[in-house]
Amino acid sequence: MPSPAGARTLAVLSAVAAASLVVAVFVGGSPLPAGDVAYALLHPSASGDAHAIVWTLRLPRVVIAGTVGVALAVAGFLLQGMLRNPLVDPFLTGVSAGAAAAIAIGVGLGVAAPFLPALGFVAGLGTALLVALLARRGTGIDAERLILAGVSLSALFSAIVSLALTKLARNGADQILAWIAGSVAGRGWTDLLWTLPYVVAGLAGALLAVPSLNALRLGHGVARAVGVDVARAQWLLLGATTLLTAAAVSLSGIVGFVGLIVPHLARRVTGTDGRSALPASALIGLGLVPLADALGRSLMPPSEIPLGVLLAFIGVPTFLYLYLRPAGAARLWGT
Amino acid sequence: MGNLNAEGARITIGARTLLDDVNLEIRRGEVLAIVGPNGVGKTTLLRTLAGVLAPAGGRVTIEGIDLRERSRAELVRAIALVSSDVELPHGMSVRDVVATGRFAHRAWWDWSSGPDDDDATAAAIARCDLGELAERPFDTLSSGERQRAWLAVGLAQGANVLLLDEPTSHLDARYAVEMLALLRRIASEGRAVAAVLHDLNEAAAFADRIAVLGERSLIACGPPALVLLSPALERAYGVPFERFERDGRVRVTVRGEDALTAWRTEPIPR
Repeated sequence: MPSPAGARTLAVLSAVAAASLVVAVFVGGSPLPAGDVAYALLHPSASGDAHAIVWTLRLPRVVIAGTVGVALAVAGFLLQGMLRNPLVDPFLTGVSAGAAAAIAIGVGLGVAAPFLPALGFVAGLGTALLVALLARRGTGIDAERLILAGVSLSALFSAIVSLALTKLARNGADQILAWIAGSVAGRGWTDLLWTLPYVVAGLAGALLAVPSLNALRLGHGVARAVGVDVARAQWLLLGATTLLTAAAVSLSGIVGFVGLIVPHLARRVTGTDGRSALPASALIGLGLVPLADALGRSLMPPSEIPLGVLLAFIGVPTFLYLYLRPAGAARLWGT
Repeated sequence: MGNLNAEGARITIGARTLLDDVNLEIRRGEVLAIVGPNGVGKTTLLRTLAGVLAPAGGRVTIEGIDLRERSRAELVRAIALVSSDVELPHGMSVRDVVATGRFAHRAWWDWSSGPDDDDATAAAIARCDLGELAERPFDTLSSGERQRAWLAVGLAQGANVLLLDEPTSHLDARYAVEMLALLRRIASEGRAVAAVLHDLNEAAAFADRIAVLGERSLIACGPPALVLLSPALERAYGVPFERFERDGRVRVTVRGEDALTAWRTEPIPR
């Protein structure tokens, strides 16, 4: 269980995340009065324009954005801990690149748009599996081989996407670009429902792995000496990371920086103990992504700023400010 | 019969046999120093004694039971393997590092830490004189303090057998002496301590027995004076030693380069 101080921090983060979710429902491309939104939320069986907008457009979008935030933040936290590298993000395992390449090929072959997320999900899982097999050493996983395999395959798949972008007609290229930019626009309850089991399974794996992850921070030798089954922990962590990332990618395309930056913010506020830092990552992701999406759809209506683009605009300066100030680099692990 | 015993153990790394037919007792209340040249298999022997590696032949027992018949968690609660050449954890306090020694005392997925865990962690911190440093980030400790913290991880495991791999490496004379004195005190409380050491005089000063490893075998094991006076050192290291007496103890030093050249023309004493 988190320490008393950690529990207090998590309570504050929960309140902030809840407030962020509520604000995100009230913000949108169409100027709905707050009272109408509140009425629609409190009366699910009512009808009317406000009700339709809230229940079929805003609410699923906010929940999906929150799910993406949780999934990517937790995946990033797990992978950074497993590889003992604070600069890792969950796309390192090639999930996003594999999914992007599959979607580019799918678009090229004329696969119908509703099937593309599922195609991306399967391709993402397949790519991560290939990377894991290449990174296998003995019964466990070698961190350097994982990074090398992930980066190499990602480069290959990015080349496939680039080729598709240059060869496909405008319409197809736009479809791929929209997906790469990262967005939850147009996603509904059905998209969420079919990815939810994978998110739940990934989160369950993450929860199981936290005690081992804490010991792995001391390196494999010490972790093994205190009783951690390092290989089991690595496969569990990689499996959870992959499920969460593939589910997030299939819901939102490539939303960068969440998986890299949120774990850093979490460690800063709670310390490195996974029992506090993992829930903190999830809560920050849960609050941040819906809020960023709300901003993206309300800054320049009726057009939207893609979620991935907006998060990069927010995330990069924040990251640079926090960590690349003089003496900031030493705090990458957040103490 | 010691607390932890190697009985005809063959120590291998991959397909290569490093040590064959090792018979070694690690006894409660004693400090055993394990010495030998680089690459002879000291660390691999320690890992085999801890049950991290299985012997390719013979067996290792704790309280008479083959380590292979114990679960990993049981072994970790009984035998602590303390390494010094390990990666530095970033952003962890000393207390958090020591608390990882409690991992094997609960289910591997269990997040909780009970009063037993807190007490054992606090006792290990106090035993290693780390009380004032407990909340400090581990990576801000000096080398000597880090060595004590790694030892505290082993004590937090609750193990009665402590196996230490070069606990005095990277330490200056004062820190090395303090560490060895701490190991002596821990052994005198009823634990069995075995430590890989490089300094033969350090080993002689602090250990009850010295085990000398040479090419493919345990060459000698016994009280420091007997071992240092025997030709085991020449056999193990392949260089000539001078022995002398000081303060009632046998001390050794490698003879000079000239003597080394001359000695190499002589047959190695067996």
